[in-house]
Amino acid sequence: MFLDVKGLKINYRTVYGNLEAVKSLDLSVEKGETVAVVGESGCGKSTLGHSLVRLLPPNAKYEGKVILDGKDVFALKGKALRMYRGGEVFMIFQDPLNSLNPVKRVDDQMLEAVGMREQIAGREFDREDALKDIIDGLNGVRMPDPEVILRRYPHQLSGGQIQRIVIAMALVMKPKLLIADEPTSALDVTIQAQVIKLIKDLKKEYGMSVIFITHDMAVAYTIADRFLVMYAGQLSELGPVNDVVSKPLHPYSVALVNSIPNKSRKEGKLVAIPGSPPNMLAPPTGCRFHPRCPQVMDICRTEDPLEKEVGGRLLRCHLFD
Amino acid sequence: MASRFLFFVVRRGVNALVTIIIMIALIFMIIHLVAPSPTDMARLYVGSHFNLQQLVQIAHRLGFDQPLYVQFYNYVVGFFQGNFGTDTIYGIPEILVIQEYFPVTIDMVLIGTFLGVGLGIFTGAIAASNRNTAPDYGIKALYLGTWAAPPFLVGVVLQLILAYDLGLLPTTGVADPILLHPAVVTGLPLVDSILAQNWVYLYSYIQHLILPALTIGLISFGSITRLTRATMVDALDKDYVKLAYMKGLPRRKVIWGTAFRNAIIPIITLLAITFAFSVGGAVVVEDVFAYHGIGFFAVTAAYDLDYPAILAITIIVGASVIVANFIADILYGVMDPRVRLT
Amino acid sequence: MSDGAQKWLERFRLFRGRHKSSSGAVTEAEAPLGESSGLNFIMGYVRRDKIALAGTIGIAIFVMWSVIQGILEQLSGYLNDTTLAYILLPSNPFAFNFKLVLAPPSLANFPVGLMGYDATGRSILSRILYAAPKDALAAILVVTSAIVIGMLLGITAGYIGGWADEVLMRVTDAFLAFPLILLAIALALVLGNGYQVVLVALVVIWWPTYARFFRAQALSLKNRGYVEASRLSGLSSFRIIIRHIFPNSIDPIVAIATLDFGNVVLTYSVLAFLGIGAEVGSPEWGSMSASGLQYVPHVWWFALFPSIAIMAVVVCFSLLGDRIQDLVGGRISY
Repeated sequence: MFLDVKGLKINYRTVYGNLEAVKSLDLSVEKGETVAVVGESGCGKSTLGHSLVRLLPPNAKYEGKVILDGKDVFALKGKALRMYRGGEVFMIFQDPLNSLNPVKRVDDQMLEAVGMREQIAGREFDREDALKDIIDGLNGVRMPDPEVILRRYPHQLSGGQIQRIVIAMALVMKPKLLIADEPTSALDVTIQAQVIKLIKDLKKEYGMSVIFITHDMAVAYTIADRFLVMYAGQLSELGPVNDVVSKPLHPYSVALVNSIPNKSRKEGKLVAIPGSPPNMLAPPTGCRFHPRCPQVMDICRTEDPLEKEVGGRLLRCHLFD
Repeated sequence: MASRFLFFVVRRGVNALVTIIIMIALIFMIIHLVAPSPTDMARLYVGSHFNLQQLVQIAHRLGFDQPLYVQFYNYVVGFFQGNFGTDTIYGIPEILVIQEYFPVTIDMVLIGTFLGVGLGIFTGAIAASNRNTAPDYGIKALYLGTWAAPPFLVGVVLQLILAYDLGLLPTTGVADPILLHPAVVTGLPLVDSILAQNWVYLYSYIQHLILPALTIGLISFGSITRLTRATMVDALDKDYVKLAYMKGLPRRKVIWGTAFRNAIIPIITLLAITFAFSVGGAVVVEDVFAYHGIGFFAVTAAYDLDYPAILAITIIVGASVIVANFIADILYGVMDPRVRLT
Repeated sequence: MSDGAQKWLERFRLFRGRHKSSSGAVTEAEAPLGESSGLNFIMGYVRRDKIALAGTIGIAIFVMWSVIQGILEQLSGYLNDTTLAYILLPSNPFAFNFKLVLAPPSLANFPVGLMGYDATGRSILSRILYAAPKDALAAILVVTSAIVIGMLLGITAGYIGGWADEVLMRVTDAFLAFPLILLAIALALVLGNGYQVVLVALVVIWWPTYARFFRAQALSLKNRGYVEASRLSGLSSFRIIIRHIFPNSIDPIVAIATLDFGNVVLTYSVLAFLGIGAEVGSPEWGSMSASGLQYVPHVWWFALFPSIAIMAVVVCFSLLGDRIQDLVGGRISY
């Protein structure tokens, strides 16, 4: 197993009390596989992504184990952590307008990345070679005129351009695992499609694993091999994309799938999920989804369901006991 | 691109000029509200020990019987020519009095502001990068103490400890009174004594300068700390900082090279305000340390009801703040590519 | 960044802590719960935060004492009964006692001698307590008048825009360039010395920052979709201001004003220290410190305790204001 998350628990200490952002989550990702983490905002999917690269704010407390390629991620410290971040994982963030340092030119920012890569690999840094690498990377993301772009400041670039530069940075760093935290949600639809196609191509070309975090089921569907549906910090359903979309089992997955805009669907209207995401400071007792669940049973109100395997999927629902 | 930046500089320059003229107009209005008639004006300027006949003559000589707009025009022109009228107490042109006192304050305030800003951005950045831990709370306690304390308390405590108790520094004054002043070249005693190679005076001057400048630094550093902490916290939350971590950069480099570089840009715009605040603080500090600068002179003038002096000081200091602000604007443009290139 | 005036606003507010966050970045963990703005939200937070709570309690004590003592002082004036003003104080703050001239703090005759005696043997504690209402009144009057004036001018300028806006911005620039203390000295000199004059001077100093604030608010809200929609639906400008601009200004104004109460107390004391606005014989924290300084270092209590009173009040307002500012600026996640 390439990435193995076991019993991941993340708590935030807040003035309002303890916030359980992720609760005993298990996930494993194969080499070259793309897992889409989907769920409404506030369900802990972004926290999950940030925890894998250890970039949570200082009030977060980790529990559980994350093993990436044999490394215990939560045990990494100092130089080892830097080598892990610079060498094995890379993360793309949501807001392209904030993704690049506004006071530095693009080339300096990319050279910084290459410099770290070389340092971690123990090689001598050569500016010319590095620039060649960077331009290759920019060509790889089909950026026209890379030499011109490199001399620009971030505010002179569009959101789509910046997102491509960040992906090019990922290309240059050649990580084994790419985490993309809603990389397309701030972009126009046409640019969204380009960026998604890019990530797909790169994955194929370099064989990296991708964790794609999104609230958009349609986007997730086009890119992922497997779905991890999260609700209120917990796994609801984990399974192959086609299975989940064609026959969702968990009532929450059903609701999410029904919310995908789909021409072929007869009713021709979107189905919104009734109710709103729970207050994470005081989550509902029992199954956290029960107040919004159309198939709620008595047991759901008192007992938190356990994870079980049903036909190659992981589920957390009393309906399948 | 260069021409855009030039345009930016020119526009800011024009703004500064207009602001100075409005400021003069405000002061002009205040004077004429207090002294509506020409003779009142004359009395304001020369004191009350003249009879009405003489006052009318003086008013005529000083042009107070002319229409208001002519007077205003003369007032503005006078300002830019360095003509602020004659001091009622000393009987010499106001500009000479100010030339005597202002440079001393400039030396002190600039050094104090420099100390305060340096200390402030450093502690602020440390506090932000250790948010909600012991260093953050420690720095908060430190700056709250000096921020909330009245400036005179800070001055007196320093004076008590460093001058009276430990005897390290002189308690009051600008320099040892038995020493001769160096020849005036730039007006700033610090620079002049270096130019004149008058090391004895320089040593004494610096010794006397430390306590007031330190007080100015301490009373202004809290604001800088607070702001740096805030901008730094904002910067540290930005995705580009996370991206810097993702590149594998060490924490030290991420904090000081990436976040700090962005966080200090708003601080630059604050330099002028800090300077203004420090000049205000200088009034109190100079009172505590009997430091004969412009603040000390302002307080004396207030007691003596020396209107021309007070008004001249207010305008000059205000104008110097506007100039400082203009410089900060330009510096901001140089530091921030978003301003420079758009 | 196109507007220089806008930046002046930013930086003045930034100074002495009147800043708001530039980033609205709210991570999942910070996602607001229930109400995310308004007084209830702020108070709900303050109750849970020890530091802010400590500040609030301090402020409450200061304000309550000032109100009670202030009413008593006013009543004693109307009823011509001087004892009424001292009824709650440990001793008569004006009573000379030449046996106790510059006597050090002691527990004898508790609590009258707790903070020692001044140069004419008056209890320093009594005098500090007697002077509190003046500072509280100054803070409240100055800040509220500055808000009202700033609001009227700022919203007008921001809403009308163009020429009126440009003029207002240059005028506030000019006001902001004057160092506070110097301008106050000049005004007090011109208008004549006294408590009311100092209040006027402080308002003159304080309104421009609020005018800037409300102008920026009006500008940024003017072109928002929902405001435009209300305008198209025939809502009058006045109504739009009431309905949209006010509610959106409450949070930041609470933060700014809280800090400013402290700032006004501090500036007022500094002016009194310099002898501006202090009426002869009437105790005032700043002027007490000033008189006490003559006897430093041998007699430290005379200057120190009034200064500490000033500091305590300002610290309380800062503790609370700091936290509210962080909260409103989205800088608190835990």
